[in-house]
Amino acid sequence: MSTAAILKKNSKLFLPVLSMSIFLSIWQVLHWIIGGEFLPSPYQVYLEAMRMFSIKIGGNSVWMHIYYSLRRVILAYLLGAATGLPLGMYMGWNRTFDKVVKPVFEVLRPIPPIAWIPIAILWFGIGEGPKIFICYVGAFVIFVLNSYTGMRYTDPLLIAAARTYGATRRQQLFNVAIPASMPSVFAGVQNALSMSWMCVLAAELVGAREGVGYLIIQGMDMYKPPMIMVGMIIIGIIGASLAVILRRFERVVCPWRRDLT
Amino acid sequence: MAQRPNIKIECRNVSKSFVTEQYTINVLDDISLQVEENEFLVVLGPGQSGKTTLLNCMAGIIMPDAGQILLDGKTITGPGPDRGVVFQQYALFPWKTVMDNVSFGLYIKGVEKSKRNEVAQKYIDLVGLQGFERSFPHQLSGGMKQRVGLARAWANGPEVLLMDEPFGALDAQTRYAMEKETLSIWEKDKRTVVFVTNNVEEAIYLGDRVIVLSCMPGRIKSQYPIDIPKPREYTDPRFLEMRRKISDDTELSL
Repeated sequence: MSTAAILKKNSKLFLPVLSMSIFLSIWQVLHWIIGGEFLPSPYQVYLEAMRMFSIKIGGNSVWMHIYYSLRRVILAYLLGAATGLPLGMYMGWNRTFDKVVKPVFEVLRPIPPIAWIPIAILWFGIGEGPKIFICYVGAFVIFVLNSYTGMRYTDPLLIAAARTYGATRRQQLFNVAIPASMPSVFAGVQNALSMSWMCVLAAELVGAREGVGYLIIQGMDMYKPPMIMVGMIIIGIIGASLAVILRRFERVVCPWRRDLT
Repeated sequence: MAQRPNIKIECRNVSKSFVTEQYTINVLDDISLQVEENEFLVVLGPGQSGKTTLLNCMAGIIMPDAGQILLDGKTITGPGPDRGVVFQQYALFPWKTVMDNVSFGLYIKGVEKSKRNEVAQKYIDLVGLQGFERSFPHQLSGGMKQRVGLARAWANGPEVLLMDEPFGALDAQTRYAMEKETLSIWEKDKRTVVFVTNNVEEAIYLGDRVIVLSCMPGRIKSQYPIDIPKPREYTDPRFLEMRRKISDDTELSL
């Protein structure tokens, strides 16, 4: 077997391992250049991770902190889907409704979720409320935008085809427009989860007693760069895992797209 | 004496123009035609002759500016399951399997699942797609997709089939096969067909009668009954003679 063939056969395993090693090497080299105090080495971060997972931080294990963050994200995400998807779809389907709602939405949309933090604390106090609200805002906007786009760009020919079979307006909506918008909706479903996950950390950086964001703040307060970095890596790994889970889910729900990508 | 044939679908003085900001385009100008029950009528015209617009008017997808279209003597006001359309771009539902695409019309009519699958299966078999019932459209070739399109239109039991350059996007080889297939389905399950094309050979091969449209605005230029018995041979001298006559009459190059 030629080298190329071996490469091809093992590329599923080989290439990710290769890219990881390059990443870790660059990190190690930067550690030497910048100095240990500001950029801990991968090994130091690994040791810190081992330590953190074996103790309680702020009264909770790391797993519990992850659980707190995930719980906020999932609650906010489900709320965002339940309100954002119907709103976006209806905006895409009904021109009049679109014209009424769009101007308000366009003004609210560019406000970053983080900018809502002060007002959210004012409204909901310092408990779970503001954190869930921030994540909700982030997810909601993306749910609306993607379901709107999906609906709006439904191939008019498919609607025409349904009409020639005598489909009522309602049947056109449920049997054509909604399924046709699913691929775009699913792009939103993934982005909304990433967005929600990013927002929870921002929210937790401000006055939380638990959550992955709290871990990072603890690392900062105790001046422990390795601890900050463990927190960051946990964020990355969980964010990536959530994306993988959703992609699996999309394949189940949109089987007609199985052969794409 | 043969009985006076039934007129199935009829256009009376149909005109249609599209208005843009700069100018108005007259697409159809005073089109009148009658199609008999179970007749296979081919409308032949170059691009821009408005033949697709004419078909869409007959389907009820768009409304003519003037004139009317009658089905069994009643003016049509919109699309309906009494007219089935086969689209050039297939217009299959990508999220539905072949079976669900073909049974779509019956589903809209509220026919129960076992019954509609039974009917759909009959037409899937008729177009030669048995074994592909559970495939999705993107897994099929262009010719197979249009077979699904034919089966979907036929399965709904329309009185009139409107076919809009259905084989225009296919390669020549597949196109011949599909023309043959269409005729054999039509022979087995006769319907009134209005078939639009820009291909002279296709028109003569399929049509009981060929109507030639002129270009911009679309007007009826001439009509040719095709008396050659079906199935026809492309090399039949009568076929070639007809082809020469119609070609001389058409501005197909554009």
